[in-house]
Amino acid sequence: MSFVKCCFEGGEGQDFLDSFVQKCTDPGCCCGCCSALRPRYKRLVDNIFPASPQDGLVKSNMEKLTFYSLSSPEKLDRIGEYLFQKASRDIYRRRHGFVIIAMEAMDQLLVACHSQTLNLFVESFLKMVQKLLESTDPQLQILATQSFVRFANIEEDTPSYHRRYDFFVSKFSAMCHSNHGEPGPRDRIRLAGIQGLQGVIRKTVSDDLVENIWEAQHMDKIVPSLLYNMQSAEKYETVSCAEGGGAGGEEGEEESPPRLAEACLRDLLARASFGHIRSVLRPVLTHFDRHDLWIPTDFAVHVFKIIMFSIQAQYSYSVVEALMQQLEAGRGGVRAARAAVLAAIVGIAAGDSVGPSVLEIINNILTNLRASVARGAEKETEEKLYQEALINALGEFADHLPDYQKIDIMMFIVNKVPGAAKPSRADAMLQHILLKSLLKVGATYKTTELSKAFPAAFLEALLRLSSATEPSTRVLLQRILHTLLDRRDNVPRLAVVTLDYDAAGLSVEKCSRQDLIFISKHGYAIFSALYEGLQLESNSTENIACIYTTIALLCVELAADDTLCDLMLLILAIQQSSISNPVLSVSQQCQLQAVSISLAALLPHVAKLPRLADYIHKVVEARREECGHLLPPLQHDYRLSDPTLLPAKVPYLMMDQMAISECLKASGVECGRLQGAAPYCGGGPLQHRHSWIETGAAAGRDSLADIAAGTEPDSAASSPTLARQAPAECAGVSLEALRRAAEGGSGAERRDAAQRRRALNLAFRTAPFHHLMQVTQPKYEIQEKLEEIFRSVSEEPLLAPSLKSGPPLPDLCLY
Amino acid sequence: MEDYKFLFKVVLVGNAGVGKTCLVRRFTQGLFPPGQGATIGVDFMIKTVEVDGEKVKLQIWDTAGQERFRSITQSYYRSAHALILVYDISCQPTFDCLPDWLREIEEYANNKVLRILVGNKTDREDREIPKHIGEDFAQRHGMYFLETSAKEAENVERLFMEIAVELMEQAKCKELPKYDGSLGPINGKTTSVGDGSCCLRS
Repeated sequence: MSFVKCCFEGGEGQDFLDSFVQKCTDPGCCCGCCSALRPRYKRLVDNIFPASPQDGLVKSNMEKLTFYSLSSPEKLDRIGEYLFQKASRDIYRRRHGFVIIAMEAMDQLLVACHSQTLNLFVESFLKMVQKLLESTDPQLQILATQSFVRFANIEEDTPSYHRRYDFFVSKFSAMCHSNHGEPGPRDRIRLAGIQGLQGVIRKTVSDDLVENIWEAQHMDKIVPSLLYNMQSAEKYETVSCAEGGGAGGEEGEEESPPRLAEACLRDLLARASFGHIRSVLRPVLTHFDRHDLWIPTDFAVHVFKIIMFSIQAQYSYSVVEALMQQLEAGRGGVRAARAAVLAAIVGIAAGDSVGPSVLEIINNILTNLRASVARGAEKETEEKLYQEALINALGEFADHLPDYQKIDIMMFIVNKVPGAAKPSRADAMLQHILLKSLLKVGATYKTTELSKAFPAAFLEALLRLSSATEPSTRVLLQRILHTLLDRRDNVPRLAVVTLDYDAAGLSVEKCSRQDLIFISKHGYAIFSALYEGLQLESNSTENIACIYTTIALLCVELAADDTLCDLMLLILAIQQSSISNPVLSVSQQCQLQAVSISLAALLPHVAKLPRLADYIHKVVEARREECGHLLPPLQHDYRLSDPTLLPAKVPYLMMDQMAISECLKASGVECGRLQGAAPYCGGGPLQHRHSWIETGAAAGRDSLADIAAGTEPDSAASSPTLARQAPAECAGVSLEALRRAAEGGSGAERRDAAQRRRALNLAFRTAPFHHLMQVTQPKYEIQEKLEEIFRSVSEEPLLAPSLKSGPPLPDLCLY
Repeated sequence: MEDYKFLFKVVLVGNAGVGKTCLVRRFTQGLFPPGQGATIGVDFMIKTVEVDGEKVKLQIWDTAGQERFRSITQSYYRSAHALILVYDISCQPTFDCLPDWLREIEEYANNKVLRILVGNKTDREDREIPKHIGEDFAQRHGMYFLETSAKEAENVERLFMEIAVELMEQAKCKELPKYDGSLGPINGKTTSVGDGSCCLRS
C-alpha cells in the first residue's frame, strides 16, 4: 500500500485508466504491482485500511476519500461497490476487523454525502448491510443493524422503486426472537432486531413509492416480534404519552428490549392511517390468541392502552370495533378477559367518538350481552364475569361521554329491555343485566335538572319496569332512580330507614322552578308507581328500603311548599295501605309503617314545619312506648307475640290525616287537598289541578285513553287494593273488619269523588287557555273528550268497593 | 464472495422437536448440536452451494415448531421457493400432523412452491413410521420425499443439493413463480461492475 501511495500521490489524470481496470475484479488482481494501474478511487479506498485491523480506520485517508467522493460524486457508486466487494471477501475469509472498518467507512460516506448523489451508493451500502446480517456472528449483525438505522435516519430525496426491504423485515424479525444461549448477547441481538425494524418502518411509512410496510406479509412479522419482546417485561407500566417513540436509535443501547419494542410499536401506530389499523390489529389479536396472553389481562390491557394512546385519536373507534368483533370468539375465560380489556380502553375511545359510532358501540355491547344471556347457564361463573366486564365497559364508555349523550344511551338501553308482563327466565335475566348496565351508565350521569334527566318516554319506561316480577330487578330500578334523582350525594345518608335525620347531615337546597314544573307534570305517575311498588307481595326488605330511599330523595330534592302536600298524601297512603292491603305479610305491614313515619319525619327537615315536627314526634314517642316494631330500623322478620299489636289494631298510633293537615295549615302550607283525600289517590287531584292534559298527551296513554274507554277516570288505578281487599277479608275472620273496611272505603270513595269533581272544575277554571289550545291541536278532539269526562264523572255511581271491579291488571302496572 | 447466480429461499416447517434446526445446522455448519433448545420464532442461516459450476445461495429460514409461534412462522411461508416439511420417523404424532401442515402450506404459501417431505432421525432404533408410509404420503400429495439423519449426516447434503438443483432447473425454465423480492432485497440497476454480482434471471 505504501508503494501505491508514494508512486501516485497527488497524481492526476489517472481516471482514463478506469475503464480499463474497471473489469479487473479478480481477487488475485487486487494486490501487487497491478495495483499501480488501479483507478484512483480504488487506491483511495485501499488506503483507508490499516495494515492491521486493530489500528482501526486510517482517519487521514478516510478524509481524503470523503473529500474525493464529495468533489466527484459520480464516483460514489463505484466506491460503494468496491468497498462492498472488499468487505465480502473479508467476511468470507473471516477477517472481521476489516469488515468493521469497511462498514465504518461506508457509514461515514453515507452521512457525509449529499442525498441526491447517494442513490446508487445506497445499493452497495444495503448489500453490505445484508451481507453482514447474513453472517452468523452476532457482532457483525449488530454492527449491520446500527448502520442500517443510521441509513434509515437519512432523508433520501430520490425515490427508489426497486428497493426491497423484504429481507430486512424477515431478518430483523428473526433477530427479535434470538435465542442465543447467554442473556447478554441475546438481549443485544434482540435490541438490534427491534432497532432494525424501527428503521425499516421509518424508511418506508413516509414514502408511498417504496415497499408497503402495511402489507400482511410484513405486519405478520413485525407486530408479533415487537409483542414477543414486550411480553417478557417484568411489569407493565403504561404511560399515556404518545410521543415516546422518538427516542429509539442510537441511545437505544441502554434500553431493554421490552421498552424499545414498546417505543417501536408506538412509532408504528402513530403513523398508521385508517386503512392500516386493521393490518396492525389483526396480528396483535392473533398473537394474543396464540400465546395465551389474554389471561391475566395486565399485558393485554397494557398493549391495548398503548395502541389507544398512540393511534391517531380519530381512529380509536376502530380499535374498539375490532376488539368487539373478536369478543365472541374463544372460550369463556378469554371472552371475559377480552371484555375486561375492552372496558379498560373503551373510555379512551369515548372522547373521540361521535354520532352513530357511539350508539353502534353501545348496541354492540348490548348484543353481546344478549348473546351471553342466551348462551345461558352452561358455565355460569365465567359467563357472569364476562357480563360484568361488558357492563363495566359500557359504564366506562358512558363515563367519558357528554351528559346529553348519556341520556340518549339510557333511552337506548331502556328500549332494549324486554317488558313482558310474565317474562321467561331468560327475559328476566336479560332485564336484570340491562338494568345493571343502565345503572352503570346512570351512575356516570350528573343530574342538573330533573326534566333533562327524565325525558317523558324514558321516565315512562322506567316506571313501567318498576313493577317487574323479579324483586332484584325492582331493586336495580330503584337504584337507577336514586342515582338519577340524587344531586347532592344524599343517597348514602338515606340508604337506611331512620328517624334521626339530624345525624344524617342531609344537604338540602331549594327546589328550582323547572323541577317544580317537572314534578307537577310527572309527579302523579312517579308517586303512584312508587306506591304500587310498595304494595307487591314479593317485596323484600331491600325493595322497601330502596323505595323509601327514592321517596326520601324526592322529598329532599323537591322540598317546596307546593309539593309538600302531595308528598304527605303519598305518605299517608302508604300508612293506610299497610293496614288495608291484604296481600302484605305482617313484616311488610310493619315495614310500611316504619317507612311512612320515617318519611313523615323527614318532611319537617326539608321544610320549616315545626308543628308537624312536634306532631310526628308525638306519634313516634307513642309508638316507641307501645309498638316499637312500627318504627325503624327495618327488620327482616317481625315476630309479633301479640296479634293486638298488628298495625291494623292500633289505629290510635297512626298519623292522623286531619291532625297533619292542621299542622301544615299552621305553618302556612296550602293543604286543602289533604283534608279530603283517602287511601291513595293523593296524586289524582294534583294531576287534575295542574296538567292532566299534558300527562295524557306526553305519556300517550293516560287518563284520556282511560276515560275514553269508559273506565274510572284515573285514580282507579290505585285502588286495586280496595278491590281485592273485600274478598280477602271475607275469607278472613272478622265481620267487624269487613264492615270497617267497607265503611272506610266507601266513605273514602265518596270523598274522593267529590274531591275529583272539585278538582276538575278547578282545572278548567284555572288552566291557561293556550294550554288547552296547544293540546287540542295534535289529534284529540278535546271538546268531545271533555264532554265524556264530565259525563263519566258526574254519572259515576257510588259503588261500594267490594262490588267494584278494578280495571285490568296490566293497566295498573303502567302507573 | 458475493457472486452467486441464484438465490433461493427455503423454509423448514414441522412439529416441535422433529429436528429442523439440527438439519439446518448440519447442513450449514457441519455440526450436530446436542441438546439444541427449542427455536423461538424464526432462525436464519445462509449457505452457498455450487450446482453445475454455478453458485446458488440458499437462504434457509428455520421456523419454530411450537404452536404459539405459528402466526409469525406462517408469514415466512409466502416468499419461500421451497418448503421442507419435516417429521420424526420415531414419533407417530409428528407424522399425524402432516395433513394439518399441508393445509397451512396450502393457505399461506405460494401454490407453486416446491414441497419436500423429510422423515428425520433415521439413526433412531425405535422407528414408528416405515419408510414406505412416508413415501406413499409424499406421493399422494405431490411432494418429494427423503429420509435423513441430522445426527449421522445422512442425506442432509443431498436434501439441500437436490432442492438447489430442482429450483435451478425451474428457474432456468422460467417457471419459477414471480415472488415479491425474489431478486433479493436490493437488486438495483447498479452499474454492474462486471462480476455478475446480481442474482437470478432478469
